[in-house]
Amino acid sequence: MIVESSDQVPRLSWLKRFPIPRNFKVTPESRIEKGRIWPAPADAKRIKAFEIYRYDPDSGGNPRLDTFHVDVDDCGPMVLDALFWIKNKVDSTLTFRRSCREGVCGSCAMNMDGTNWLACTRFISDMDTNATIYPLANMRIIKDLVPDLTHVFAQYAAIEPWLRSETPEPEKERLQSPEERSQLDGYYECILCFCCTSGCPSHWWNGNRFLGPAVLLQAWRWLTDSRDEAKGERLDALEDPFRLYRCHTILNCTRTCPKGLNPGKAIAEIKRAIVEREK
Amino acid sequence: MDDQPVCRGVAPVTRRSFQSPLARALGRGAANSGVQHWWAERVTAVALVPLCLWFAASIIAHAGSDYAGFIAWIRTPLATSCMILLLIALFHHSALGLQVVIEDYVHSGVKFVAVIAVRLCCYGLAVVGIIAVVRIAFGG
Amino acid sequence: MIKNGTTDGNSTPARPRPLSPNIQIYRPQLTSVLSIANRFTGLVLSLGAVGLVIWLSAAAAGPRTYGVMQSAIGNWAGQVVLFGCTFAFFLHLCGGIRHLVWDTVHGFELRSIYISGWTVVAASVVLTAAAWTISLFVAGWHL
Repeated sequence: MIVESSDQVPRLSWLKRFPIPRNFKVTPESRIEKGRIWPAPADAKRIKAFEIYRYDPDSGGNPRLDTFHVDVDDCGPMVLDALFWIKNKVDSTLTFRRSCREGVCGSCAMNMDGTNWLACTRFISDMDTNATIYPLANMRIIKDLVPDLTHVFAQYAAIEPWLRSETPEPEKERLQSPEERSQLDGYYECILCFCCTSGCPSHWWNGNRFLGPAVLLQAWRWLTDSRDEAKGERLDALEDPFRLYRCHTILNCTRTCPKGLNPGKAIAEIKRAIVEREK
Repeated sequence: MDDQPVCRGVAPVTRRSFQSPLARALGRGAANSGVQHWWAERVTAVALVPLCLWFAASIIAHAGSDYAGFIAWIRTPLATSCMILLLIALFHHSALGLQVVIEDYVHSGVKFVAVIAVRLCCYGLAVVGIIAVVRIAFGG
Repeated sequence: MIKNGTTDGNSTPARPRPLSPNIQIYRPQLTSVLSIANRFTGLVLSLGAVGLVIWLSAAAAGPRTYGVMQSAIGNWAGQVVLFGCTFAFFLHLCGGIRHLVWDTVHGFELRSIYISGWTVVAASVVLTAAAWTISLFVAGWHL
């Protein structure tokens, strides 16, 4: 009932999705159709069923939901291991991003059992009996579980995520006290997986203009960096009813961050900085 | 989001717009406003906490009283002024909140019409309510 | 065959990429549920504010219109609406106070978010029950 950290798997079992029609506000090309049920392995003792979102851009069809049966004893403990098992043993066309397999690169971010997380750090044993795997929510899909992140990365570029300073460069490093450096803790660790942005309802409805929690967390990372000299210009660029103030402190972002970061708090800090410079 | 963003490094694509992703993200730039709305919403909220609690407590305390009792209560200077302040804070807070809701969900030109209509209705109703309180307080 | 997102050089438009489901599949959590409840109760209270102005205007118009108004409220449907508005009021009040605390940049750790969230739910239920119990008692005492 009381969640202490974001790696606690969501347990609410009686309400897995909002009670709205399955195809509520879904455009025709995004409508998910019934998919294939792939046969279970013959000699497996423990089998787990996964419903996985599939989309083949070459087929001209709609996305569909395929059901795979995975021999849990034959693959590693993480959902990413299950995806590899399916790709190697059942359907080699299953497409997903992956790299580090240890939760530091952010490539395998996807929606598992209704919440966004990294596939490589989500245990298969923590998944529901009927496990569902969808791509990151509210993203244009290139293929299967691969989202098009162009727009969110463009929003990241728009906040100018680099050090802005007019003071001539020092001969050695730019100095920073331990207290000043500690201001970056909790913000520099972001791996830009976009689990938070993809889980933010405000970004679902206004994603073209609202920057989203990941980008705003990085904006705060640069605002709070003592070596940066462009705080005024950064706050000017953020103070906008849509870019910043579409955040209504829903806090799905903090709940879902696979690195345990707090975008909601970063956004509150930005809002406080804007108010403080005005009053 | 109905434009079609496109990955670089993929085969050349047709899209409805050739605007670069960065241009699309930057949009028309920051409006440099929004904090006034946010601040006003918080100020009215802070005002509404005691005013609403006072109102709820008064209603509960006068539950079951008749018309004369109700009029006598509103005629007290404290009740009259708190009621007027409540109406002002309530409808301003309501106008701000409804504007945010409309901006969230309505994206066509209807948005401007809706925001104007809601704001005018809220302030109009506030005036109607204040007039009613004044009439009760100073009427015969 | 025209691949999705590519063109054969002719002017045939490509199919747009599908959008992955969002609210259709995203798991409701205390964070999102309390947030939408705060918004929903705010909308209900906006309608309630209209009702408040009608009620005040009825009182200003004299004892007869006020009596009509009171009988409408006293009717079972009116009582149900009033009960709903009371619960909406307390939920929005407690949720609003939670928001005001967040605006001071306090209470953002997940543990605090969840504790304050459940407190808001519990407080709203308790306050609604208390308000109605006390007002029924007071009304009984008046009569």
